[in-house]
Amino acid sequence: MSTWRQFIPEWLSPAVLAVFVAAAAVLHALPYVVALSPYDHNQLTLAFLFIATALAWNWIGGFAGQISFGHAAMFGVGGFAAARALQMQVAPFWVPWLLGGLVAGAYGLAWGHPTLRLRGPYFSIATIGVGEATRLVLTYWQGFTGGASGLALPINAQLKYSLYWYALYFLALVAIASYAIRNSRLGLGLLSIKSDVEAAADVGVPVVFCQDLVLFLSGAVVGVAGGIYASYFSFIEPSDMFGFDRSISFVLMAVIGGVGTVFGPGLGAVVFVLLRQFLIASYPQLYLGLYGLLLVLVVLFEPLGISGLIFRVARRLRPHRGAT
Amino acid sequence: MTLLRVENVSKSFGGLKAVDQVSLELRKGEILGIIGPNGAGKTTLFSIIAGSMPASAGAVFLGERRLSGLRANGVVAAGVVRTHQIVRPFTNLTVLENVTVGAMFGSPSTRHNPRARAHEELAFVGLAERAHHLPAGLTLVARKRLELARALATGPKVLLLDEVIAGVNPVEAIEMTKLIRVIRDQRGISIIMIEHILAALMSVSDRVVVLDYGKKIAEGKPAEVVRDAKVITAYLGEEHAKSNGGIRGPAAEKSP
Repeated sequence: MSTWRQFIPEWLSPAVLAVFVAAAAVLHALPYVVALSPYDHNQLTLAFLFIATALAWNWIGGFAGQISFGHAAMFGVGGFAAARALQMQVAPFWVPWLLGGLVAGAYGLAWGHPTLRLRGPYFSIATIGVGEATRLVLTYWQGFTGGASGLALPINAQLKYSLYWYALYFLALVAIASYAIRNSRLGLGLLSIKSDVEAAADVGVPVVFCQDLVLFLSGAVVGVAGGIYASYFSFIEPSDMFGFDRSISFVLMAVIGGVGTVFGPGLGAVVFVLLRQFLIASYPQLYLGLYGLLLVLVVLFEPLGISGLIFRVARRLRPHRGAT
Repeated sequence: MTLLRVENVSKSFGGLKAVDQVSLELRKGEILGIIGPNGAGKTTLFSIIAGSMPASAGAVFLGERRLSGLRANGVVAAGVVRTHQIVRPFTNLTVLENVTVGAMFGSPSTRHNPRARAHEELAFVGLAERAHHLPAGLTLVARKRLELARALATGPKVLLLDEVIAGVNPVEAIEMTKLIRVIRDQRGISIIMIEHILAALMSVSDRVVVLDYGKKIAEGKPAEVVRDAKVITAYLGEEHAKSNGGIRGPAAEKSP
């Protein structure tokens, strides 16, 4: 065994690591090499954030199979907690982001612990309730969210420009975490829970702990994203953060890209962000309807979304191995 | 030496008493058979021992340790694991990964090298070359072996087997019976097994407990139990109990 291998954890394959480092390096260097317009620069920043949220949504929705329509609650709670802390201006901005993530994760745990014992559509319905209840309560809680008019943050143009890299590093961490979770003990436990929760418990999987932990982690990541999002706009308001379409967008990104695959939801997020720009510009009245249509088509014809298409093409290219 | 003790366990579903004041003991290194007509409460009793459902009354002990009140994963960590009558493989995981789940989450002393241990268990039950297949491609008997390997990977002291022989052909049944003996003889795991196929159960069990309508109606050596009038009545009706032939032959092999 060559010596360099021992510095890489067992679960991380060298090929994945190489692709990963290359992608991160290219994206890191991109603004220095290519003269990106401010619009493109900002779109990429937002894309990084949403890819990260889609990957994190997938931990609970894809790995554990518990489809959450309430992740906007964590996005918003994390965002507002971070915004309040940012307004104090006592610590470097990443401290409020982390704080927002912790608060969001704790909030996820608080509603998730009792509701995660529900499964399938029953859990999903509960998450819709949680999301909407959170939106209503926090819209009226002026002391925390500033009510419907929201909160303004100190404007920092330099920070907004450099958010590109913060969002990129954040995404890199989340992507590594996705891969690590999928290949860890926790990931295998979650996949077994998704398949058969009772059989999983009967071979020793601590179902409650695994689900609680992963919802905490997923919520924390989405909460940090909410905080970065608040920094990006220097303004944050409840209807944008907590809206039901926000929750739906997390689900859509994952479904388009491939629920349960490690990186599929990231691909889905890219498609979602691009498609959204195009559809809003071209068909502002129709765009939600077109999303619905897309969702139906994916579920009917390719339940693993883009990832499923990629697997299919890969099998075609190796006709002798995948002929099932 | 008593390893597992079930003390006056009852379970009610509404007005129905599925398990009614059942007590039994499993000695170390023993294979204990449980028989009884359909609906006798056998599987319910397993579910209670394994922590899948709470008892309405009574308690289960492993040595001095009380298992009642633990969740299923706690019971597995303590060293008691069950298999399912209707096999429940994780269909989204490969055969190897299925067994790895057991190896990773089983009793804490056996969690090292889960993947290597999963390979060993697959080889032990004779599924080594199927390691990278999905369970959907396996035959019923292979899926039963998978269920067994997954349970064994948790490193149990007590194995609860729920009809691992039922539904397989006679040759496979003999193989499975051999495997069960090997599990006990070579690995020192004590076993409680539910089985409808009496011939198979009788040949492998040291002792047999008979349940009927949730109650324990007989207990003893296999040969004694099948001559017990109450057992014959439960299985074949009173007419047969009077003619006193005992349960054997083809009639015993059919599910009552």
